[in-house]
Amino acid sequence: MEAGTASSGSGIHLPGMEIAKASKNRYEVMIGPAHPGSGHMRIFVEVDGDIMVKVDPDIGFVHRTMEKLAEGREWIQNIPLFERIAILDACNITLPYVRAVEKLLGIEAPERARYLRTLLCEINRVASHLYGMGIFGVFLGHSTLYMWAFGDREVFIDLAERLTGARLTHTYPVFGGVRRDIPDDFPEDARKATRYMRKRLNEYAKIFLNNPNIRSRLENVGVLTKNQAAELGLVGPNIRASGIRYDVRLNEPYEAYGDVDFEIPVFEEGDSLARAWARVEEVRQSLNIIDQVVTWLEKHPRENFMHEKFWKTAPKLYKDVYEGKISYSPKYRIKLMPIFASLKVPPGKSFARVEAGRGEIVYYVESNGDIFPYRVRVVSPSFRNVIAFKYVMPGHRLMDLPAIYGSFDYFPPAFDR
Amino acid sequence: MNPCYYACYIVYKVIVYDIIFYPPVYQFLIIPGLITAIIIAIFIIWFERKAAAYVQMRYGPWEIAPKIGGATQLLADLTRYAMQEIITPQTVDTLQYLLAPIVMVVLALLPLEAVPLTSVKPYFPIPSGYSLLVAVAFTTLSPLFITMMGWASNNKFSITGSVRESFMITSYELISVLGLLTAAAMTRSYDLVKIVNLQMSGKWLGLINPIALFVVFIAVLMSTSGFPFEIPESESELVAGPFTEYSGLLYGLNMGGAYIRRWVFSILITLVFLGGWAPYRPTPGVITGYLIPSLIVSLKAVVIMGIMSFLRSVYGRYRLDQALGIAWEILIPLALLAFGIGLAEAYFGII
Repeated sequence: MEAGTASSGSGIHLPGMEIAKASKNRYEVMIGPAHPGSGHMRIFVEVDGDIMVKVDPDIGFVHRTMEKLAEGREWIQNIPLFERIAILDACNITLPYVRAVEKLLGIEAPERARYLRTLLCEINRVASHLYGMGIFGVFLGHSTLYMWAFGDREVFIDLAERLTGARLTHTYPVFGGVRRDIPDDFPEDARKATRYMRKRLNEYAKIFLNNPNIRSRLENVGVLTKNQAAELGLVGPNIRASGIRYDVRLNEPYEAYGDVDFEIPVFEEGDSLARAWARVEEVRQSLNIIDQVVTWLEKHPRENFMHEKFWKTAPKLYKDVYEGKISYSPKYRIKLMPIFASLKVPPGKSFARVEAGRGEIVYYVESNGDIFPYRVRVVSPSFRNVIAFKYVMPGHRLMDLPAIYGSFDYFPPAFDR
Repeated sequence: MNPCYYACYIVYKVIVYDIIFYPPVYQFLIIPGLITAIIIAIFIIWFERKAAAYVQMRYGPWEIAPKIGGATQLLADLTRYAMQEIITPQTVDTLQYLLAPIVMVVLALLPLEAVPLTSVKPYFPIPSGYSLLVAVAFTTLSPLFITMMGWASNNKFSITGSVRESFMITSYELISVLGLLTAAAMTRSYDLVKIVNLQMSGKWLGLINPIALFVVFIAVLMSTSGFPFEIPESESELVAGPFTEYSGLLYGLNMGGAYIRRWVFSILITLVFLGGWAPYRPTPGVITGYLIPSLIVSLKAVVIMGIMSFLRSVYGRYRLDQALGIAWEILIPLALLAFGIGLAEAYFGII
């Protein structure tokens, strides 16, 4: 076995396999991989008394070889595959792939499709942040926030279901547009949801973020300075809580983000509390964007939500339902255009990035003109954020581990791909 | 008279007066001892879950008995604990590992042997002029066995948890002892009967000296790992703290042990600060002199436990050093202050 030779000192180091020299007063605690507070990862923690001196996140327990799998699937089949990277942020996670392939195809989604994509992206961002906050709550023993956040997340999952037909794996953005348009009564529901959520965010602040008990756990804990955040190359709300104004939506507007009005909340403190606040404020901005997008969709006629090139090949029933000749009924199954089944993408290399809930996600797609991609490379936000544990945690107490861990909104399946 | 009837009468008298209402048996096993403690634990855990569920906008226990709000959920859980296999890992110190939870629960009930639940003389379990002192001393015994559990389990999470528990013990015990003995300073007596009798006029010590009551309340939360001091067995770090390796009935005992200790402390708080059987004046006779006052005390203690349980839905948990800081830097000065206030009140004759 190779692992055997590795442990006998051939230079390859498998984490956890080598024999470490025992040192006095040091105690090694392994958090994970099967631990109520770890998720699907392992953290080696060396404690000196109650102080963590060495923290080593060890990822790879839910690695699913997604990049390799993608090379054996047709272009369209990869969208449902990549959704599994971070299932609760499905639209944001697959959007850069779709955009990269669109660049290769040389097409661009029509305006209405761009707004529809923005709408689902923001709904997903809210749901993803609520999920993160719920997990954060349960890490600190605050079961009420956990239940509230998961309950309120349901509102946005329902919205996504009304929009796409699926709760989590929407497969909504496809090459050249989106799968379907909004239902007629969707804008009302969306406004109701945003109104409700704005009210709830204040209650969250009351019971969690301004709770003296929780504040004392989070303030000045896990401080990530501006320089450190930049050096480690972190992304998402975590760096915005450290004072770096970087957001792909702002720096390189995609879809409809150039046309809607929103702010990027930036905090200077860089501690766990700032990271928690950054998420809450981002949810608030997302709600504003949802309102604006829904109003835009209402005002504009239901013109094409799919690029002409693909729309031409749509089945007749599909077009009839869409044009209102036949009233919609659940018995009609919405099918994709047949052209997607044997889509060949022109050879070339392309690259796209978007701001997902947890930060910037980057796809590099290479095609050699076949019906399969030649190579797809994914760099997910959690993969870039996980390194922070190694540098932020040492020096804190063992009980700070969940407070820091939760504040980074980690998501193990996302960094294992 | 029919001899059979007479024999039955004798047996009945023996069972009722010499066994059930024999004070050591009655208080240790029936009210407020083991049986009541278990019933209260079942009720309070249900209440805790229901109250948290109400705050958190969900149903809580429901499915098992929809008509009474799932109140029998804990019976089902207990049955499951009782039926489960008790796994003894190879690496543990078997004797201590098996013995510690049992001794812990038994010792947790011991303070009930010292407290009188009525002012009628024949119904004192241990007639003593120092019942408060003895009861407070007994409460400090059982937490030691939680530390022992962690050590015997030979597991890193268990040991870390039990080290935390020992830190908590050292900090809360001084507070609770100081707080409870404030009553002795105020009433110039260690006798709980005398302390309660002084409160008969409505001047409950908790109303006269609320700081002492507050301090003891927090100390009890610390000692029984109630939120926001649920530190030794914090799930997201230490799995289950000192109880990580336990399974089956022993795990059930551990979980129940915290509630039993909380129950015993609630009884003590009721007697010392909340007037014990206060509005009611016991008269000779088993029912009027023993059953009713013990029920009144239990009822008041249940209210205290309910308040403690509700805190779960409001607070997260403090860090260990923060909790110790609260204990040593805030609560102990407060306890001393309460003690001083108590002395002053006694001196100026407010009591």
